[in-house]
Amino acid sequence: MAFLLRRIGFYVAAFLVAATFNFLLPRLMPGDPVDVMFAQAGTALPPESMEALRATFGFIDQPLPLQYLRYLASVFTWDLGLSVKFHPLTVNEVLLRALPWTLFLVLTASFLAFAVGTLAGIHAAWRRGGRFDAVGAPAAVMLQAVPPLVISLVALYVFAIALKWLPTGYAWAPLLDPGWTPEFVGSVAAHAVLPVLTLALTQLGGYVVTMRNSMINLLGEDYITLGTAKGLDDRRLRMAYAARNALLPAVTSFAMTLGAVFGGALVTEVVFNYPGLGYTLYQGITARDYPLIQGQLLLMTLAMLTANLAADLVCLAIDPRLRRA
Amino acid sequence: MKAMTKRLAVLLASLALMAPAARAQQEPAPSTVTVVASLSTGWVRNFNPFNETTRLHSTRDFVYEPLIIFNSMQGGRPHFRLATDYDFSDDLLKLTFRLREGVKWSDGHPFDAHDVAFTFEMLRQHRALDTLDIWKRVASVEAPDAHTVVFQLKQVNTNMAFELVRVPIVAEHVWSKVADPVTFTNPNPVGTGPMTEVKRFTNQVYVQCRNPNYWDAGALKVDCLSFPQIGTNEQLLTAASSGGVDWFGAFLPDIERTYVAADPAHHRYWFPPGGTVAVYLNFDSRDPGNRRAFRDVKFRRAVSMAVDRRAIVDIASYGYPMVNEYASGIGRTYQDWVNREAEKSFGRFARFDKDAARALLAESGYRDVNGDGFIDHPDGTPISFFILAPNGWTDWVNAVQLVAEGLNAIGIDARVATPEPASWTQKLISGDYDMAINGLFTGETPYRSFDNGFHSRFAGKTRWGATRFVDPELDQALDAFVATIDPVAQRRAMDKVQAILAASTPYVPLFSNPIWYQYNTRRFKGWFNADNPGGRPDVFDGTPERLLHLLSLEPVRPA
Repeated sequence: MAFLLRRIGFYVAAFLVAATFNFLLPRLMPGDPVDVMFAQAGTALPPESMEALRATFGFIDQPLPLQYLRYLASVFTWDLGLSVKFHPLTVNEVLLRALPWTLFLVLTASFLAFAVGTLAGIHAAWRRGGRFDAVGAPAAVMLQAVPPLVISLVALYVFAIALKWLPTGYAWAPLLDPGWTPEFVGSVAAHAVLPVLTLALTQLGGYVVTMRNSMINLLGEDYITLGTAKGLDDRRLRMAYAARNALLPAVTSFAMTLGAVFGGALVTEVVFNYPGLGYTLYQGITARDYPLIQGQLLLMTLAMLTANLAADLVCLAIDPRLRRA
Repeated sequence: MKAMTKRLAVLLASLALMAPAARAQQEPAPSTVTVVASLSTGWVRNFNPFNETTRLHSTRDFVYEPLIIFNSMQGGRPHFRLATDYDFSDDLLKLTFRLREGVKWSDGHPFDAHDVAFTFEMLRQHRALDTLDIWKRVASVEAPDAHTVVFQLKQVNTNMAFELVRVPIVAEHVWSKVADPVTFTNPNPVGTGPMTEVKRFTNQVYVQCRNPNYWDAGALKVDCLSFPQIGTNEQLLTAASSGGVDWFGAFLPDIERTYVAADPAHHRYWFPPGGTVAVYLNFDSRDPGNRRAFRDVKFRRAVSMAVDRRAIVDIASYGYPMVNEYASGIGRTYQDWVNREAEKSFGRFARFDKDAARALLAESGYRDVNGDGFIDHPDGTPISFFILAPNGWTDWVNAVQLVAEGLNAIGIDARVATPEPASWTQKLISGDYDMAINGLFTGETPYRSFDNGFHSRFAGKTRWGATRFVDPELDQALDAFVATIDPVAQRRAMDKVQAILAASTPYVPLFSNPIWYQYNTRRFKGWFNADNPGGRPDVFDGTPERLLHLLSLEPVRPA
């Protein structure tokens, strides 16, 4: 109980520090939103527009302490203000447009990577030195080293452009209208195959290696030897005895990955033209959209800290040794 | 009986199948042009023509028709749309527009002068909507009768006709009921233009269709415009190469191989010259050695002669742009305005001549005093600077690299720096730069480009006034141009402007930026191209001629 309270206290403090950074960081970048608008518009925005734009975006010119207080208040009211880049949409509206797709894409890919990677790691460790391990382990390391951009582009070229098996982009076929029809759901699924699979592939290597290594460390333990001696069947020994104990580091790293969901997957979104929070954040940064950047960073901070707390709780639940401490 | 029922069933079934087929034959599919006018990561349903951030780029011109379209490619020739005529008073302080009769909004209400007056009054009340700063130059707007609008100007400026028609006119009966026109997203627009009906709208594509009450319906042969959401140039190339886009504009590297080769019979492009791209020198450079050099016209001329514009166009931009070897920098876009005398006298300074450049530097006294291999001032002050190019704009970055190489070859210590576009703009505005590449305006006449670039009221205040070159005679000539509507007087004024610029070389023009325009002739014909130069052909927001272009399109009859 004391452990829990201490952890929560730590997280609240961490959150306040992170929130302050999230507020200051965008404002440290050179240039302000109106200057950026002029830079990006080139000769499409004449110099005469300067005053009109300053009048529209007056809310970013207020004194810094006032902006900071409003920002802190927004944590509780969740009124993140108007976006600059996507004016007149509010920051909430901008984030909500991309959120469901990001959650769908990243959560599916992460779960897939975790499930397949962990099982493969278990199998490789159990039959260490065997054929699967000899090929699988180095392959996983190599996969980890390949940049996500390369995997995405190669998959796009091979499956979507050359073989034409899968669509080249979008979250669903533009001809369809969104709704819970079998057509639409089927289209969403078809369009999700490449982005989810390539994103899962980029994370897969990590889970295989983590699981394999932590299991191999355990295989020499006494209780494994006892289990073998007792005559327990292979599957029971592998899953209930070895894997269960080796799962701890994998679960922790999985929880942290889940915390990063709200940062989206920038490369995948750009390559596959998939609507998501990664590209939204990137656009916010290049446009110096302070309300959007701080709103999204706030969301990411909360998610990351919650995931951390969840990881702590899960470890507490799985590992009895921690309960005694 | 059983056989009867069976035959009846078959008969009924075949009738049922035939009926929809028959109906389908009677309703032809609407002819839809697929357009990419802007890159976006997801459409926002914003048809507010004054919004500068999320407005859909098919709002102006297609939903809201302009009063007059001045054809930049044909010397500013007026195409009268919602207005039939315009007139300056004798003292040039009153501008009167006469409006077309019988024009209706897409919901059936009549369009008249009260809509125009209302729109301008709304701009006066809401500063954030007045993106052209009209009310700094206009004193009042009046609608003395239903088809006449009179603008009272604060000072004489014959360019105001061009400026005023850039303001989109909205419906009084709709917008007078809107609480906050600045944040109003106008999801179901009521307009006077050809395509006002929003048939479909999702994040990924939206379709805009024919205005049922369009005044010029006879000239419109296309039914709908479809706008798929495209996020990046690469995605655009993928979509266009597979034949999925009819009308778009983009910088596509090696276009013959990447786009045209995918369908040589139908994939076409045309890059007419647009605004000038030039290297700017900062007359108020923070470094005293550089400042002294930049203020010396002989140094500037040597810089200009050291640049191989042909190589820049061919290597950095795949040969798409046209070189700008005019001493005044006026460019091929405005070749009808060229001051031939000035070009004869000073033209040689705008052409690549390495030896002449070196000779000019030598005879002006510049030489390598400190032995570092680069020239300095005669008293030993070094001359060394970076040329800025915005990061990511690869054709401009490559151009600047070639400029730096050319300068190095004649002994000037120039290097390339590529700050982020926002930072590059800021440095130009604040004056924290030595040399930088920059792109100038286009307009109906060369006035806009020269005025924004070199009139003293912009010097040091905008990205385009970044040279900080000031010449009172140049100001006078520019002001004289807009103080009259007499073409002879205007010609004289523009000649004087060019003469001063040619003699001073305050900047180093490189080439005329191409107008990006690609099209597909598989489904539609009537496209503007070199054989049919009806006007600026691009589909970007900011080019009202795209309305004329739309009206010249028609579906290709199936063979």
